[in-house]
Amino acid sequence: MDPTFVLQLVVNGIVIGVIYALIAMGLSLIFGVLEIVNFAHGEFYMLGAMAAYFATTDLGLGYWSTVALVTVGATCVGVVVFEALLGSVRRESFERSILLTLGLSMVLQNGAVFLFTTTPKMVQGSYTYTNIGFAGMQVSVLRLFALGLGLAAFAALYAILYRTQVGRAMRGVSQSRDAAVMVGIDPRAVSRLAVAIGIGMSGLAGAALAPVYAVHPLMGFSFVFKAFAIIIIGGLGNVSGAAIAALALGVLESLIGGFLPQVFVDGLAFGAMILVLLVRPQGLFGRGVRV
Amino acid sequence: MRSSARTTLAAIALVAVLFAAPQFYRSEYVLALGVSFATFAVLSGALNLVYGYTGLLSFAQVGFFGLGAYAAALLVTERDWSTWAAVAAGGVLAAAAGLAIGYSSLRLSRHAFAIVTLSFALLCMIVARDWVTLTRGAMGIPGLPVPVLGLPGGASWRLAKPLDFYYLLIGYAVLAHAVIYLVVSSRIGRAMRAIKLNEELAQSQGLDPLAHKLLAVTLSAFLTGVAGGWFVFYLTIVDPSVFDFYYTETMLIMVILGGPGSFWGVLASCAVLTVVPDLLRFTTDLRMVLYGFVLIIAMLVLPGGLGGWLERRRLARWRKAATRSRT
Repeated sequence: MDPTFVLQLVVNGIVIGVIYALIAMGLSLIFGVLEIVNFAHGEFYMLGAMAAYFATTDLGLGYWSTVALVTVGATCVGVVVFEALLGSVRRESFERSILLTLGLSMVLQNGAVFLFTTTPKMVQGSYTYTNIGFAGMQVSVLRLFALGLGLAAFAALYAILYRTQVGRAMRGVSQSRDAAVMVGIDPRAVSRLAVAIGIGMSGLAGAALAPVYAVHPLMGFSFVFKAFAIIIIGGLGNVSGAAIAALALGVLESLIGGFLPQVFVDGLAFGAMILVLLVRPQGLFGRGVRV
Repeated sequence: MRSSARTTLAAIALVAVLFAAPQFYRSEYVLALGVSFATFAVLSGALNLVYGYTGLLSFAQVGFFGLGAYAAALLVTERDWSTWAAVAAGGVLAAAAGLAIGYSSLRLSRHAFAIVTLSFALLCMIVARDWVTLTRGAMGIPGLPVPVLGLPGGASWRLAKPLDFYYLLIGYAVLAHAVIYLVVSSRIGRAMRAIKLNEELAQSQGLDPLAHKLLAVTLSAFLTGVAGGWFVFYLTIVDPSVFDFYYTETMLIMVILGGPGSFWGVLASCAVLTVVPDLLRFTTDLRMVLYGFVLIIAMLVLPGGLGGWLERRRLARWRKAATRSRT
């Protein structure tokens, strides 16, 4: 077995794992604070990538301004989604929230198919063919940027959750909504922020991966399925658990993909999820927005 | 006339109309619509059993459908099984899958059940596409043979024409609905509804929630898997598109609009949603966008669906009658 090849697989796995983590952490945050499983979460990743494609190709924006624009845009979309749809759903009506977000996902996904067709689009930017040689491997600089952006987003999320008043309020609501209301926290404002952050991170993930992979309307669909498995493995509502599970899944998938047929890569997330549910149903790291 | 007798008569009349209809109006188009209606009637009825009556939002139905379809097709083409046995085996396989995912996820929560069933459905599609040595990948298995069903008394039924499939699938839909009706109107069905309304209270009355939930999921998976088996012989090809999310979304819309837990409501909305979009001739993408909007609006405005709305009106009428008789 060639060590450089293995190392290359691990590096690729870490990059994809960080992007899984961006999506799964947002999903987990929204679940922790609102107890809503956002079925449309993958579509915001897809929309982020689509927006990045159009910003680069049609507006001619550079890499960094595209990423910044898409992230800010996705965060605003998050506020709109909360105000228009999720804000009116009470915590008990869990099925209603799922069907609501499923409806949103159908509109966004099939609307994108209708408008842009399923033909994959490639984003051509200034960094597209730039590689960095490192310990005998070639790593695309765009993958490194995606990695850096993902890590920066983690750091920002942790800073918000642990160093700011609003982050403490967010953790408070996810631990006990009633107690949080009693000490004067507005659960609506906190929920709005959680949805905005979650969807913003999804958009960022889309913009960061758009130049690495092809962009097409069904990309969010297969991705969110893994994100669901990740949040079950990491513990529903546990943001750090989601991050760890996402990173592990990315690396393992990449390694398995290097040596075994594709069907094992596809089955890994599902198999791991079923195994965790049978052995440790509360998830590997338990419930709650905490580290 | 008592309402149960009226229901029986209405059901017999409906079945008679469905069976007699091709004698008067036999175009390929109408027969195709009939087959589509019968298939979706089974899918939405089975989903209604799990979601409407037992309160478990299952996204795995399309997985059961495709599993039954692939199992039946592979057993007939690769193992030379008889059609009856292959379709039944597909149903049993789907039921086993339903039992397994139900058991592993229902111990945790309803949230976990929804997520696991969704992942299961997506996994089925991906495996069908990527496990090329078994399923022949995205190409699928085309040219399934014309099924010949052995009948009692040595006769056999060759399903060569669309009309044969119309009768077969309508007959199966009637049978499946009879089973569903018997279950939901029995003690077990009342227990399922009690568990949906308040699990703790039902448990305190000595009902076993997990057993009832597993029964609903397994029976629903079996009915759906058998429907998948019959349906692929009608299509004469099975490929990963039997796992398409389109089926999930369509049957969900049927159940939601008809009213979860309303037997006749779901059947009615299934009939309407089979015929109307086809007459309007939308492309599938646009139809799904519309369904998405319908789903969002239904969730915001009419969470109980048509059946729930009728039920509320009936209750309001009773209340009014009760207050009137008291004064």
